[in-house]
Amino acid sequence: MKRRIAVLVFPGTNSEDETLRLLRDCGGEAELVHWSRAQRLTDYDAYVLPGGFAYEDRIRAGAVSAHDRMMDDVIAGAISGKLVFGICNGAQILLEAGLVPGTGPVRRPTAAFTDNGPVPHFVCRHVYMKLAIDPSRCAITAALPNDAAIPAYAAHGEGRLAASPERLQEIVAGDHLAFVYAHRDGRIDAAAVPNGSALGCAGLVNREGNVLAIMPHPERDGWNFNHLDRQEGNDVLAPSGGAALFRSFVDAVNGR
Amino acid sequence: MTERTVAIELKIPDNEAYTALTALQRMDLDVDRVERSEIWHLDDAGDPATLAARVEANAAIFNPNKHRLRVLDGHAPRVGEIWIDEAGEHDEVREHLGGATIAGVSRASRSVGWRLYGPAGAPASGDTLARAVEGLLCNPAIEKARYESE
Repeated sequence: MKRRIAVLVFPGTNSEDETLRLLRDCGGEAELVHWSRAQRLTDYDAYVLPGGFAYEDRIRAGAVSAHDRMMDDVIAGAISGKLVFGICNGAQILLEAGLVPGTGPVRRPTAAFTDNGPVPHFVCRHVYMKLAIDPSRCAITAALPNDAAIPAYAAHGEGRLAASPERLQEIVAGDHLAFVYAHRDGRIDAAAVPNGSALGCAGLVNREGNVLAIMPHPERDGWNFNHLDRQEGNDVLAPSGGAALFRSFVDAVNGR
Repeated sequence: MTERTVAIELKIPDNEAYTALTALQRMDLDVDRVERSEIWHLDDAGDPATLAARVEANAAIFNPNKHRLRVLDGHAPRVGEIWIDEAGEHDEVREHLGGATIAGVSRASRSVGWRLYGPAGAPASGDTLARAVEGLLCNPAIEKARYESE
């Protein structure tokens, strides 16, 4: 039996439809859950927090959403071992909720995805996220090959990882750096990083490996029609590219 | 050069302050009202009598249709108030002043001010401010908070 995935919609979320569609195209039984209608989310087996501008980024990106009622169940679920996957604004919410890197108390952030650097500006750029951990370190990446390079779009004004030197050291030492920005061939250098992110960070995982927060959008490069070179086939609606990460997530949710 | 501090606040309903209020109440804090303002710390060589007009001339931070400006007497948060500063180096003129300057002002820095009120309009206690800072208003990875604890 397939397990159910809740795709959370906060006021201001804007990437829920493509996220939902790619989850379904990858075999997931996913549905949207709107903040205004949500009762309890405890019946769901996994949670996805899509991109957008939840609560209009008031106070800070992700700060208010981290206190939304829906997050009570997401946090409880994460603590109990359910899979939680945040993309872009969803990743910011997971940081503000303290679920990643997860080195402090809940709802006491120890890091931030904040204003891009060196000059604050909105970035919309095709990128590759290179897996920087052993795939099995995180349940959501477990089906990916070593050093997988996931194509995606960085589309954010606040995606730079920032933390104190001590907290950054904690992230490295605790193997929380799940993805780094890279070139298509896997090379890692400053030119591959679109936003000045510390450690070249594109994604973080918690200690237990069941919560993953990534800034770029693989769902915006998740079907053949997204790829101009059609390198993965001519079926324009076939999932490909960024779908690899979604497939790995769905497999993990379904226990495959 | 004289240090001056001004507060720019909305005179129309402040949706962000209301959102903060509801989030703080979800945290079980005894807060009935929240006011938000931009606090500008200025090194000013100009005439104090014209300070307000000179700041109000910067359209990036002041719109007479929706803002009001107060020149503050002190240079520290008022009772029941929290000032949130961005940590690290940044260019205030470019980021917040729209690249423009303020006549007579040689340096400007910005805080976000949050005034919290409890029941009967009393300023929130130091304990409430501390909990609001720790739980919502300040991410210590990128911000610093200033307030009177008592």
